[in-house]
Amino acid sequence: MDYGHPLRFGVLLTPGEPAGPGALEDLMDLARLSEELGYDLVAFSGGPAQADPWTLASWAAGRTSRVRLLAAPAPDGNPAVLARAAASLDLLADGRVDLALAPARDAGAVGEAIDVIRGMWSASERSPLYVEGKHHRVAGADRGPAPARTVPLWIDGADPALLRLAGQKADGWTSPRALGTPPASPGDTAVEEAAGPEAAPAAAGLATEGPAADRSGADGAWLGELVAAQDVIDAAAAEAGRDPREIRRLARIAGRFTPARGGFLAGPPEKWIADLLPLVVDAGFATFVLEAGDPETLRRFAAEVVPALRTAVGRERRARGVVESAPARSAFVRSKRREGIDYDAVPASLAATAVEPGDAAYARVRSTYLRGGSPGLVLRPGTPAEVGEAIRFARTQPVKLSIRSGGHGISGRSTNNGGIVIDVSRLNTIEVLDKETRRVRIGPGARWSDVAAALAPYGWALSSGDYGGVGVGGLATAGGIGWLVREHGLTIDHMRAVEMVLADGSQVRADEHDNPELFWGVRGAGANFGIVTSFEFEVDEVGDVGFAQFVLDATDTADFLERWGAAMEAAPRDVTSAVILGRPRPGQPLIAQMMAVVDSDDADTIVSRLQPLAATAPLMDYSIQVLPYAAVMHVPPGTHDAQGEPVTRAALADHLTPELSAAAARLVRSGLTYFFHIRSVGGAASDVAPDATAYAGRSANFQLVAFGHNRRDLDPAWDALLPHFSGQYINFETDRRPERVREAYPGDTLRRLRALKRRYDPGKVFRDNFAIDPAEDDVTPGAAAG
Amino acid sequence: MPDYGHDLLFGSFITPANAAPQDVVALAQESEAAGLDLVTFQDHPYQAAFLDTWTLMSYVAARTERVRLSGNVVNLPLRPPAVLARAAASLDLLSGGRFELGLGAGGFWDAIEAMGGRRLTPGQAVDALSEAIDVIRGLWDTADTSRFRVDGTYYQVAGAKRGPAPAHDIGIWLGAYKPRMLRLVGSKADGWLPSLSYMESLDAITEANAIIDEAAAGAGREPAAVRRLLNVSGRFGAAGDRLLSGPPEQWAEQLAVLTLEYGFSAYIMMGDDPAAIRTFGGEVAPLVRELVAKERSARGSAR
Repeated sequence: MDYGHPLRFGVLLTPGEPAGPGALEDLMDLARLSEELGYDLVAFSGGPAQADPWTLASWAAGRTSRVRLLAAPAPDGNPAVLARAAASLDLLADGRVDLALAPARDAGAVGEAIDVIRGMWSASERSPLYVEGKHHRVAGADRGPAPARTVPLWIDGADPALLRLAGQKADGWTSPRALGTPPASPGDTAVEEAAGPEAAPAAAGLATEGPAADRSGADGAWLGELVAAQDVIDAAAAEAGRDPREIRRLARIAGRFTPARGGFLAGPPEKWIADLLPLVVDAGFATFVLEAGDPETLRRFAAEVVPALRTAVGRERRARGVVESAPARSAFVRSKRREGIDYDAVPASLAATAVEPGDAAYARVRSTYLRGGSPGLVLRPGTPAEVGEAIRFARTQPVKLSIRSGGHGISGRSTNNGGIVIDVSRLNTIEVLDKETRRVRIGPGARWSDVAAALAPYGWALSSGDYGGVGVGGLATAGGIGWLVREHGLTIDHMRAVEMVLADGSQVRADEHDNPELFWGVRGAGANFGIVTSFEFEVDEVGDVGFAQFVLDATDTADFLERWGAAMEAAPRDVTSAVILGRPRPGQPLIAQMMAVVDSDDADTIVSRLQPLAATAPLMDYSIQVLPYAAVMHVPPGTHDAQGEPVTRAALADHLTPELSAAAARLVRSGLTYFFHIRSVGGAASDVAPDATAYAGRSANFQLVAFGHNRRDLDPAWDALLPHFSGQYINFETDRRPERVREAYPGDTLRRLRALKRRYDPGKVFRDNFAIDPAEDDVTPGAAAG
Repeated sequence: MPDYGHDLLFGSFITPANAAPQDVVALAQESEAAGLDLVTFQDHPYQAAFLDTWTLMSYVAARTERVRLSGNVVNLPLRPPAVLARAAASLDLLSGGRFELGLGAGGFWDAIEAMGGRRLTPGQAVDALSEAIDVIRGLWDTADTSRFRVDGTYYQVAGAKRGPAPAHDIGIWLGAYKPRMLRLVGSKADGWLPSLSYMESLDAITEANAIIDEAAAGAGREPAAVRRLLNVSGRFGAAGDRLLSGPPEQWAEQLAVLTLEYGFSAYIMMGDDPAAIRTFGGEVAPLVRELVAKERSARGSAR
């Protein structure tokens, strides 16, 4: 019996008595030492000192960074509270938590607790949780939070009912007693006072079942007992429709290194290896947790037993034809899988961080800032090589593919229904490459708020949109119309190089010298050619800025738009502003919100720049602050949980002419848009030639977007405005008609992009955001006739 | 009275939001760096948007060096006292005596019941809290080597081994407003921890202090055995006519009055703005200490 699980090694730490400050400090030193020595997990027992094992594990999470924590709560606690505590610990520890349900005598109570815990973690279900059990009752609790990753649940116990429960519901089973020879010195003994049933909650955690048993007996009967226990688990698993390999098996062990061979786990390392090997290949255990209180035993086990045991197990498994593989996702998780995705073929490097609908983290990754989604699989590569593997896998799957950086995409859908999402949020580093030239390298998964905060200490900034929650990748491959655009141009105008993964999974660098045509295309149509894994930008010196918010009476809407447009075109480049009009309300003035950033910390300059803007309509309220640019961009991180699908139309316009202003006013008055937003552009963005990048709309002084309730109403109303526009900025437009692509990429720009698409993505792997059709050629009437 | 003469403490009150856990930890570290004495977190285990306060405090304690930590206040109905006692002692030992136990009787009974907790009337909740204090102190008392038994109406402990003992005498601070709770503060607790926004008037503070003092005397305790702590909120900026709305100097004067005339000696500022935390720790706290020290020495020499 060998389930083929990879070997893992852990340490169970128990404080000595009395539990003074020194004892616990020593314990935590051992936890850190275990991490340094390469152990995979650390567990804590309260021991005879009755320390709280949950507190010990939570503290250890704060003092370690890699090792997993097999956290055990005090027994008999409230499972709904425990679910939140475990999710919280997993969030704080960045997904390093396993949860051990304390040894319990009543399998029924443990089974109900598991239902409560899993129900609380199912944050993607919007209905409250009800569990009406004999032992535990939950009556309409809000679900959540979900842990960072699906937290494996372990059951500890030898009672047949607990074994069956482990088979039915758990992710792991823990043998209840330490196998082996207790450490020699009385001070290190793992023997503890047996707590009477009435004394609960006394000792807690993994080590309440009494003394480590000396398994030195030669008859091997105890190995048979363990195999019998595994059989009970496996039978229950099969009955529940599970693969027994879903359930990890953990053996607690204790022993001592001695020159002479003694009983079980007493002797030199070779004796330990000989003793442990049958536990792996005959009794199905692949996780061993060593009960040890001294650094020397931990060191020797890590150095002299673990590597040799791995070798021995590998040899034995090869001889027996046992294939090594991590436990499959549980039947519960698999039951939520979607059709069309070969989940078992997900590359191993991506499987651990991938999220599928049954996983706890799904609630946090399914939807985006503005769009509800239910993808079948979210891949979260952490390196460019993993991005390559993700693309290579995704292109073999007959489902939609979406690419996500910060999840604010409007045109770039970045989620889907039943398809695959490649989420690059883990590629989020921000580093300075050269102080002299202000050259920085930024991962696509960073958010602009984080970029601004990282550059602030240098007195630098990179103009990059007007909302800090937006991710780098989606914006920096399209344009980037930000608060400093008139002074410093588009975000893409600061780009000096990219490294990206192409549709075939290969990695390339593109800049003015290497792959210059690709570099041209990435700046405005990047989403068509691959996934950028890092950007290099040359950023600007930016100090504090003036940040103003005005509330204006825009009842005379056309007049206001025309005046504001003229004021912006006349304004020096150090001011950039935007206006937002909401839906008109009967009997009330139409309110416009105007925001402006002045790239100056001089009060007189700020005021002189703002005065003409404030005079464009009757002023109702205003605030002006001098702030670091990073403060303007500051948005606390959070997860997205939108529902539905945004309906927008967008365009670029050179001027807010009287005709356009009047037409836009009619649109607003119609009530068909509830959020109408015009950003100023022009300035430095217009210094760049239209053919210098794939962003062609260089003549535009304004970018417009209207949010509506449905396509049927918004499209005709917006189409009526088309004669007034000069182009398209792709990132705000959700209309999928092919004319939009031609607006964004007119004439030669589109011809060049098609040639690039034919070269880099002829199979149209990337079609999430303004897809360019490689096959379609410009058809002139003459050519069609010929 | 009042001015019970305690040294002054200043703290923060950070929302334990689970959307960005490391930001919460960073605010606690920011509080420590700003010179604050105390970091506190509210505890609403039925609130899905929050981190589990106990887990968070344990983690934050491991990520800080000097600052003290407390729940503000820990929800007793969903945290049974025997587990709480051992967890508190463990955290106090791990942190080198930096943990204090702000404790509340519970109030949102629908939510508590939805989580599987037991619904109590407000009066029962006060009695349960009183029993819980006995359970907690009894388990901490390792000087007594007998097995610990409590056969209360709400909590039972049938012959448990005592311990662990905390590293220092953990203060039990109660959130309290009504007379029964205030009397419990006076008779058993180490601190009174109300929120200024829940106090109807400054006179109500004086009345509450009197109830606590009387109950303390009834239990044979000095009024000074009960520290008075206050959760406050406000804003920094141009002088306003509301309490704690203005520049740091104005805050300091008002907090000095609350210390010298209303008996408070700890101020915990609610809010998650790192700039405000820096101002509170770096500017307000030293000013209040200076004002109070000056006045206390003047009063001392006048006596």
